[in-house]
Amino acid sequence: MKKREYIDSVHFYGRIWCILALVVFLMVPTAMCLHFGVWPEAGIVLKGLGSVAILFYPTAVIEVVSYAPLLGAGGTYLSFITGNITNLKMPCALNAMENAKVRANSEEGEVISTIAIATSAIVTTIVIAIFVVIFAFIPSFKDLVSQENSAWSMTFKQVTLTIFGSLAATYFAKHWKIAIFPIAAVSIILIFAGTLPVGTLIFVGVALSLIGAQVMYKMKIVGHDDEKKGTKKADAE
Amino acid sequence: MLSDFKSDRFMLMLVIGVVVFVVAQSLFFLVKALKRGKQLGLSRDSLKNTITSSAVFSIAPAVGIAVTVLVLSVALGYILPWIRLSVIGAIQYEVPAAEAAIEAAGVAGGIGREITDPKTFTTIAWVMTLGSILPLVLIPIFLKKIQKSISGAVNKNAKWADTMSAAAFIGLIAAFLGRGIAGLGAKTEPGAEIYGDGAGVLSLVAIVSSVVYMLLLELINKKLKWKWLEALAMPLSMLLAIVTVFLVAHFLPDVAKIEWRY
Repeated sequence: MKKREYIDSVHFYGRIWCILALVVFLMVPTAMCLHFGVWPEAGIVLKGLGSVAILFYPTAVIEVVSYAPLLGAGGTYLSFITGNITNLKMPCALNAMENAKVRANSEEGEVISTIAIATSAIVTTIVIAIFVVIFAFIPSFKDLVSQENSAWSMTFKQVTLTIFGSLAATYFAKHWKIAIFPIAAVSIILIFAGTLPVGTLIFVGVALSLIGAQVMYKMKIVGHDDEKKGTKKADAE
Repeated sequence: MLSDFKSDRFMLMLVIGVVVFVVAQSLFFLVKALKRGKQLGLSRDSLKNTITSSAVFSIAPAVGIAVTVLVLSVALGYILPWIRLSVIGAIQYEVPAAEAAIEAAGVAGGIGREITDPKTFTTIAWVMTLGSILPLVLIPIFLKKIQKSISGAVNKNAKWADTMSAAAFIGLIAAFLGRGIAGLGAKTEPGAEIYGDGAGVLSLVAIVSSVVYMLLLELINKKLKWKWLEALAMPLSMLLAIVTVFLVAHFLPDVAKIEWRY
């Protein structure tokens, strides 16, 4: 199978799964209404949608544009259907591509990213199911984990940071010249606008990092022969 | 669990259906990618390592997601948050989305108060659903075009594309680390402070320990050339960092609660 044929088939099946997911997702509240024999008032739903959409619709557009180039086609279809992209699927795919020493924009990268995200989605679904059953049937465990300001509760709030700390060790060591500007800029922005939502912050971080890297590339500070290569492909070139 | 309308047998069947859908879709893409990987000549070890590493990597964040289900279960029962966080949902958006939907339904007390009226419950379910489906509409329409333009740019100048791709990853990482260094926590009433969400000792321990563990494991891997460690270095460093954070929070609670941004 040629590269184009494989990618085209990923898009073909990806679209089908996306549309199926949309149907399944809309069927959930519809089935609930049929089962309970009650339907919400359209006015209240629209009013609520107004406040939720302001939060999520701009972020959705930003996420699609920012993540699609990094996750590959298969990875993007899977991630956006199964959710938890920034805190799980994206770092998982990054780690897998780094370990396999493949480039994000190559077909090998596409394949590795898809395998990582699919595995992650299956494991996550199973772990959530196991823990929900434990929470539901062992109330003492539920209390232990959910009590605000307990060691458990404070620790769970740091899980995402430990993921990105580990990723940073790998990426910043290889691309430290690119890393200095965005991390300093984001920290300064947060001093003045500390409650900026994560979605907006990611967009700002990625945009600033791209601008900084573009300037440094033009000045031949990064991306040229003197810089350490991180991938098999680049090495081969 | 099954006596409450929010978690009755019918709701349980709904979540089982959703779980089966997610697993089926993931298996479909997994098999397809594995077949292609073999055709491309990717080694069996490399494919196996990707699966092992991704599986171990996902356990701790998945427990974090399960805890979010728990947080939302007070108001919405277990099933609706379980469905939400298995499809489309994201740990950082579900709580604010539920808060906004509950407020729109006219219920005071937010996610801390149980929803007892099925009509209010279905209103919240609809608001949360319609509020998050946009990516599923955008992706089938635009993804192929986005990917084509990227592929064109990559073919034109591979080195530039590699630099930009690394820069995008770094920007993403910088956003999260920046929050751990200088992000504000949620505002609360005086005397009812919530710890762990603003930049402080604990967030710094999380960042520094995960970086140090990762560098140490990479060093060990370089010296001893343990193949199994290469794939597991990142999930291991993450788990070790989580244990370190827990030990600090458990044995030094007063130090752990120091936050310079709250």
